[in-house]
Amino acid sequence: MKNDSVLPRGQGRRRGPEFPPYDTATVAAILDRWRDQPGNLLPILHEVQQALGFVPPGAVGQIAKAISRSRAEVHGVISFYHDFRTSPPGRAVLKVCQAESCQACGSRELTAHAERTLGCKLGETSRDGAVTIEPVYCLGNCACSPAVLLDGALHGRVTPAALDRLLAQARRQP
Amino acid sequence: MTIKVCVPRDAAALSVGADATAAAIATAAQLAGQTIQLVRTSSRGMFWLEPFVEVETASGRVGYGPVTAEDVPGLFAAGFLQGGAHPLAHGKVEAMPFLARQERLTFARAGLTDPLSLADYEAHGGLRGLRRALGMAPTAVVEEVVASGLRGRGGAGFPTGIKWRTVAGAPAQPKYVVVNADEGDSGTYSDRMVMEGDPYVLLEGMAIAGYATGASFGYIYLRSEYPHALAVLNEALATLRARGVYGRSVLGSDFAFDAEVRVGAGAYICGEETALLESLEGKRGMVRFKPPLPAIKGLFGQPTVVNNVVSLASVPIILDRGGAHYADFGMGRSRGTLPIQLAGNVKRAGLVEKAFGVTLRQLIEDYGGGTRSGRPVRAVQVGGPLGAYFDQRLLDLPLDYEALAQHKGMVGHGGIVVFDDTVDMAEQARYAMEFCAVESCGKCTPCRIGSTRGRELIEKIVRGEDVARNHRQLLALCDVMENASLCALGGMAPWPVLSALQYFPGDFGLPEKEPAHVV
Amino acid sequence: MWSELRDLREGQDLGTPPRGGEPVALVVDGKPVTVPAGSSVMLAAATGRCPVPKLCATDTLEAFGSCRVCLVEIQGRKGYPAACTTLVEPGMVVTTQSPRLHELRKGVVELYLSDFPKEDVPGGWSELHETLQQVGVTGHPYGQGENHLQAPVDDSNPYFLFDPAKCIVCSRCVRACEEIQGTFALTIQGRGFASQVAASQGERFLDSECVSCGACVQACPTHSLVEKSLFEGGYQRAQSPKA
Ligand SMILES: Cc1cc2nc3c(=O)[nH]c(=O)nc-3n(C[C@H](O)[C@H](O)[C@H](O)COP(=O)(O)O)c2cc1C
Ligand code: SF4
Ligand code: SF4
Ligand code: FES
Ligand code: FES
Repeated sequence: MKNDSVLPRGQGRRRGPEFPPYDTATVAAILDRWRDQPGNLLPILHEVQQALGFVPPGAVGQIAKAISRSRAEVHGVISFYHDFRTSPPGRAVLKVCQAESCQACGSRELTAHAERTLGCKLGETSRDGAVTIEPVYCLGNCACSPAVLLDGALHGRVTPAALDRLLAQARRQP
Repeated sequence: MTIKVCVPRDAAALSVGADATAAAIATAAQLAGQTIQLVRTSSRGMFWLEPFVEVETASGRVGYGPVTAEDVPGLFAAGFLQGGAHPLAHGKVEAMPFLARQERLTFARAGLTDPLSLADYEAHGGLRGLRRALGMAPTAVVEEVVASGLRGRGGAGFPTGIKWRTVAGAPAQPKYVVVNADEGDSGTYSDRMVMEGDPYVLLEGMAIAGYATGASFGYIYLRSEYPHALAVLNEALATLRARGVYGRSVLGSDFAFDAEVRVGAGAYICGEETALLESLEGKRGMVRFKPPLPAIKGLFGQPTVVNNVVSLASVPIILDRGGAHYADFGMGRSRGTLPIQLAGNVKRAGLVEKAFGVTLRQLIEDYGGGTRSGRPVRAVQVGGPLGAYFDQRLLDLPLDYEALAQHKGMVGHGGIVVFDDTVDMAEQARYAMEFCAVESCGKCTPCRIGSTRGRELIEKIVRGEDVARNHRQLLALCDVMENASLCALGGMAPWPVLSALQYFPGDFGLPEKEPAHVV
Repeated sequence: MWSELRDLREGQDLGTPPRGGEPVALVVDGKPVTVPAGSSVMLAAATGRCPVPKLCATDTLEAFGSCRVCLVEIQGRKGYPAACTTLVEPGMVVTTQSPRLHELRKGVVELYLSDFPKEDVPGGWSELHETLQQVGVTGHPYGQGENHLQAPVDDSNPYFLFDPAKCIVCSRCVRACEEIQGTFALTIQGRGFASQVAASQGERFLDSECVSCGACVQACPTHSLVEKSLFEGGYQRAQSPKA
């Protein structure tokens, strides 16, 4: 069963499975900017996700090739970090802090309230596609617990009523 | 005369409406025909008062807080621009007891300056440490830091100067300075405050570290949960390059130094220094075995200084005033000051920079004012998610690396999270195991599988299933995790569990007992 | 038995690759041993005929330090360093067997068994089973918990199959693919308890960049990756391969 054909790293003979199309030009522009910089994979993934909302599985091969790594390596990295997603999120992303300081100030109740209001669990998106809720472990806002991050904006001392206002705003967004 | 009004731009202040407050003040001043100079400063760290507004008067700064946008018209009516009386007034800021009883060295500028104004920074003692360092031999700089007794503020408490000595002595080039800005511990925010509120002190400390050890490039590994810090650091770096502080010739010397911010991607374990280095290299954040130490073989296999944000931010003042001055503070082998962060259910949550030796009770009662809910304090977690839970009986312990270690506690990054008597300690123990399972890098088995089994065992105990046997098994599992894990995530996740079992057995449905060793 | 089956390996597995430094003298379980500098304590112990149990280490791959069954005691050091990742030093005094070490190793191996098909524990025909025997463990005290026992077998490759239920996530296959073959077709996907071996982007082996060289199969200590030809009439768990 020995197969002696030594193939270049990540350039196997098979093309791999078919993935849905994605914006290759945007990814190529990002790759150009980071090419040859040491340790560039995380910055590249962050920028791709920022531009496209997620890291399309089809882009993994393109990224791997550009930085001379294998699809497996890039996939391993994407799947390791909580931040990276491989499918599009809701129109808004709400991260609710689950860590101790916020627990001491009612984050368990706040999380349950968010789940009830949106009709979905942590890690899921509301049925209308408006909001994805995710767990986060400390936002550094522990002096104003409980804390949430809504589309990059930090909120502190969040009561269920305050959260309702934030969510209502988020759901009105197109 | 234009009156100077300061509103913090710290993320915590923003999270409770500081931008709206600032805008309301600008509008109200305009309506009143008053010209004011509205400065967005760093935060004093009195977060229960945020948004905290300070007005510069002839007799010093006067503070008001918490000031919402709705409060602003009333403040104007009360003549707050002249320091007028108002229910939200706190009088002279420097005289407020929370601040007056602190020893602020690393956070000397907190709340005073515009974080991005280099002129402000220099007017408040900035760059003096770097200037002095550049006039010394690199080895003398290392020895100054050794003499200060500074120990790493990231958690492990390793002497910073000794680490630098190892890197300085490593022959390989290039070398790197890596800042650990992953601040993952719940209850901590001092790194964030430095980066958002006083970025130049960190960058100055990095340049000193580079000069002392022979490194000319640095990376700041910043957690992705800190978008405000990212923006401030990048702007601060650009300013330092433009002003010749960073670049080919640091302050006109022949020492070259530059740095770059890299953003993490949501992984607590990437605060562990070797996982951090893997992540910086663009890999999965898996823990490396040690030795080799990062000081010898670190980033890209090169000698690397890895230091916490607060450790490096403490270096400029050590170089400025001398190691001996810094070492004058503290007790025993814990020298200098520690930025302590009060968090959780505490009335006055905020930053307390004190010499080592202050007790937990002083911190929680005198500074913190007890719980926010007004109920009795039941449990306190010190040193982050891997730190032990203490009960009332242990609150007279002084905050000191060795004293806490005797009780399986740790100073860690200086976070103190307070819980009132509604807390369910069995649930907190379950969470400690769950957190370990969520954040485990998955490399070693005690942590990868053990954390999930630990959670399951606690759930069984709480459900009353075969309690004695599962309790015994949980203790055995904790022993294996503690002693067989590759790194301290798996190795210390049992600490909150064991302490909860020891001090709060009733919450697990176990018989109450007098804990064997309390102070 | 596995030891007879151990294909292509000549002699004893020293655990970590041999090094060529100056000789270093140390004491393992009371016996003097001399090995080249740069060698691991594990290699020294194996040389001194005091083999330390191991799972993630094998002498064709660089040390990794993940399985934690090779813990030893070293005089003057605190804790229980892993023998595979600790390098020898002159005059080192190593203990490889003690009641305490046995307790810890047993605890670790039980964790493995808590996520391993029960029916595959007896029978003893893989390196894992050899380690089970060495540590003297046949079961675990955890009862039914979260596990990977239902994960489907990937038999897409014509020569070998992958049964994820028997995978202990030691990364030997991933490392063999990188270090021996240089193909980088495998990775660990996810993290923590969810960590799993994946080919390319979590595809079937046949669709991935795998070149069927077999380095991973040879490296696997549990026969989670195993040659199909060893099974008559199709793969089934708890079935020994024909000898
Ligand atoms: C699980 C784990 C998480 C850690 N997280 C952090 C962190 O977020 N920030 C930090 O500075 N150090 C953290 N550390 C400690 C680092 O490994 C390392 O000791 C530190 O960066 C060294 O810098 P210092 O000596 O200046 O403290 C962590 C350690 C472990 C084991
Ligand atoms: S203890 Fe946990 S986080 Fe640390 S190396 Fe082991 S699996 Fe990774
Ligand atoms: S498939 Fe085998 S070699 Fe690969 S990680 Fe699993 S047990 Fe280890
Ligand atoms: S614990 Fe929630 S912000 Fe820190
Ligand atoms: S053999 Fe040493 S840790 Fe696995």
